[in-house]
Amino acid sequence: MMKSSFQKIEAFMEPRLAKKPRGFDLFTKELASSMVRAYDEDVKTVYVSGYAFPTELLWAFDVTPFDFEIACNNLPAAASGNGSTLMITSEKRGYSRDICSFDRLIIACMIQGMLPKGDLHITSSYYCHGKAKANEIVANHEGKESILFDVPNEISMSSIEYVTAQLKEIASRLQSITGEELDIDKVREAIRWSNKARNSLQRINELMKSKPFPYNPVKACLLALGGALFWGSPLRDDIHQLIIKELEERIHNGTALPEKYRVLWYPWVPVQQTNIFVTLKEHSVSVPMVEAARVWWSELDESDPFDSLARKALENHHVGRAEKRVKALVNLAEEYDVDGTIHFATPACHGENIAFPLVRDAMKERGLPALNLEGDMTDERNYSSELTVSKLSSFIEILGYS
Amino acid sequence: MEDKKRIGWFCSYVPEELIIASGLEPVRLKGQVKELRKVDSYVFSNICPYLKNILDSGLRNRLEHLDGIIFTNSCDGMRKLYDLWTRYVQTPFTFMLEVPKNRDKYGIRYFSDQLQALQKGLEKTYDVDISPKLQSAISLMNNRRVMFGKIFEGQKEFPPRLKGSELFSLCQEEMSSPKDDETLKLEDLAFKPRPSDSSNADNARILVMGNTLDNPTLFDLVENAKGSVIIFDTCKGLKHYSDLVEAGPDKIESLARRYLLKPPCPRMPGFDLRIERLKELIQNYSIGGIIYSNLKYCDYSLFEIPQIEQFLQENQVPLLVLENDYLLTDVERLKIRVEAFLEIVRGDVL
Ligand code: SF4
Ligand code: SF4
Repeated sequence: MMKSSFQKIEAFMEPRLAKKPRGFDLFTKELASSMVRAYDEDVKTVYVSGYAFPTELLWAFDVTPFDFEIACNNLPAAASGNGSTLMITSEKRGYSRDICSFDRLIIACMIQGMLPKGDLHITSSYYCHGKAKANEIVANHEGKESILFDVPNEISMSSIEYVTAQLKEIASRLQSITGEELDIDKVREAIRWSNKARNSLQRINELMKSKPFPYNPVKACLLALGGALFWGSPLRDDIHQLIIKELEERIHNGTALPEKYRVLWYPWVPVQQTNIFVTLKEHSVSVPMVEAARVWWSELDESDPFDSLARKALENHHVGRAEKRVKALVNLAEEYDVDGTIHFATPACHGENIAFPLVRDAMKERGLPALNLEGDMTDERNYSSELTVSKLSSFIEILGYS
Repeated sequence: MEDKKRIGWFCSYVPEELIIASGLEPVRLKGQVKELRKVDSYVFSNICPYLKNILDSGLRNRLEHLDGIIFTNSCDGMRKLYDLWTRYVQTPFTFMLEVPKNRDKYGIRYFSDQLQALQKGLEKTYDVDISPKLQSAISLMNNRRVMFGKIFEGQKEFPPRLKGSELFSLCQEEMSSPKDDETLKLEDLAFKPRPSDSSNADNARILVMGNTLDNPTLFDLVENAKGSVIIFDTCKGLKHYSDLVEAGPDKIESLARRYLLKPPCPRMPGFDLRIERLKELIQNYSIGGIIYSNLKYCDYSLFEIPQIEQFLQENQVPLLVLENDYLLTDVERLKIRVEAFLEIVRGDVL
């Protein structure tokens, strides 16, 4: 069922793209195609959390990266408000509803036999520990070893060394599953593509500052998370170039929705259907920036690829002390000239949620109201549209006063 | 007794040896409040109640007896607790010790570096030189582990040498009282004669496992229902005392090895290792039933419980999962569940 749903997306996108190539459509199509490819018996499929792993390394090998989190959580079921129907399968196996809905869906897809066979199962320790456990469960289920890319919360010579050593280990695992020797020039090539796409993303983020805001925040966030798989592939830059073209056209033609207030959104957007963005639109509130779309890492150095990729992971805004991230969010709020911020909390995202008061207080010091919008990424049982609308409405009123 | 400065620690991966060698007193951190009052305006409701209790205690100045705290990145919540603490509470000395999740040579090397950083932090703050005293601190802690090893060994007998509640309070005391406290009498307990009263000899032999458990109520409930907690393997139980720091040219590396390679807690990768260990404990201690004490919202446990459940089902060992709020406030409910479970373990109920 998972494969066929991605095949349908592919088939739907192809003619659309042929008619008018748009960046987000290209991303959606390519993501679906890579998911479909992961089922191919002849390819080597590597499970990975794209948003939390330097995927440049994978593009240097002949493997198909499979972002198991994005695949399971962007299923039409989850996106159309039926995530819980599937999640119940994992709950029946004893996985508590207190576990992140993202992880319950992964386990449910595994139980239902919907996942492709993996040749290597990699995930990482940052953002949350839940996904590492989910990855281990899936790998065990397939009788495969799981690899934890462990990224400490401090950046020092020692942590860079530790992370670099792990990337080299992973490279040797990739060698053994593909039977290919590591070709360092291919890693360098992936790094070049990644740097190119990093530059074009910076250009997009510059254009996003334009008033009124010319794009769609949900798309920006989904691209940041789902598209992370393509860092290191030429595709990522292709997608960006199309988006740049669209943005420039829109800015030039003045195509934008009315904008009364601007807010910064962090960290994730819901996958399930909600009335959040419609409500914001109705009140002319734009979201010019979602945290996930930020470029947090320095340009990669192709002369020292492993060290460079290790630094990219360690520089992630969710790695390290919260004050680093708070500072980054405050900078974004200033750069994008927002009137307030919205924190979308999925209940089990503990690391993220515990950090909220620090962000709230930092924003308050700058006179920016910070709303905590409770909801859930994919479990519609934890979402109330009435409550959300009422919270949003009061927040928008506050934006008017501040 | 000399009044030393006290350093609090949360996690079993913090080497007390470094604190002792600094001339400071390591104290295991426990929640100090019976009712949460301040914490709810700082954290969401669905956060592990242990963390909440600690933060509430800090916000209400109930941890002022501590001069410093060593945090670890045990879990996402703990990692962020450090951030909240340094912003809203503050203590003269705070340190975030990164404990790697990988237990290979790279993990050990990185953990050694972290321990060195902790050593330097302590030395600088307290103007001490740790190295000359490190060996004696290692010997002291190793000696305790040996004694605990013997005490735990006595639990294999029928009846066990100590009641579960005695064992539990002994461990609690060991982690909270000064290391030169003579009253602990570990040697006496290690060589304690077999109890003459053997009325509980074939009674339900229970293993308590799970995450943080600081409250003796559960042990009392089992004993009141005529069951016997033989051992407990929560994060501050049996595995906290297992494995010695081996002698080696580099003492910091030896510490890193012992701490990182001791039996893993659920934060580490490796469900299979945990199951393997559980299997051994059931056999070695002739366990009849398992109580998994689970602090609500602890992801590690939530992911582990179904694996354990499946293994125990396949091996026909009864399991009771007791989700709790750290303070174990709902005693009546727990009591009913424990009593019913013990009946199952004894085979009174099919
Ligand atoms: S939403 Fe948070 S807890 Fe859930 S998978 Fe993502 S990072 Fe992890
Ligand atoms: S019990 Fe679980 S959630 Fe609580 S501090 Fe320990 S590991 Fe973290």
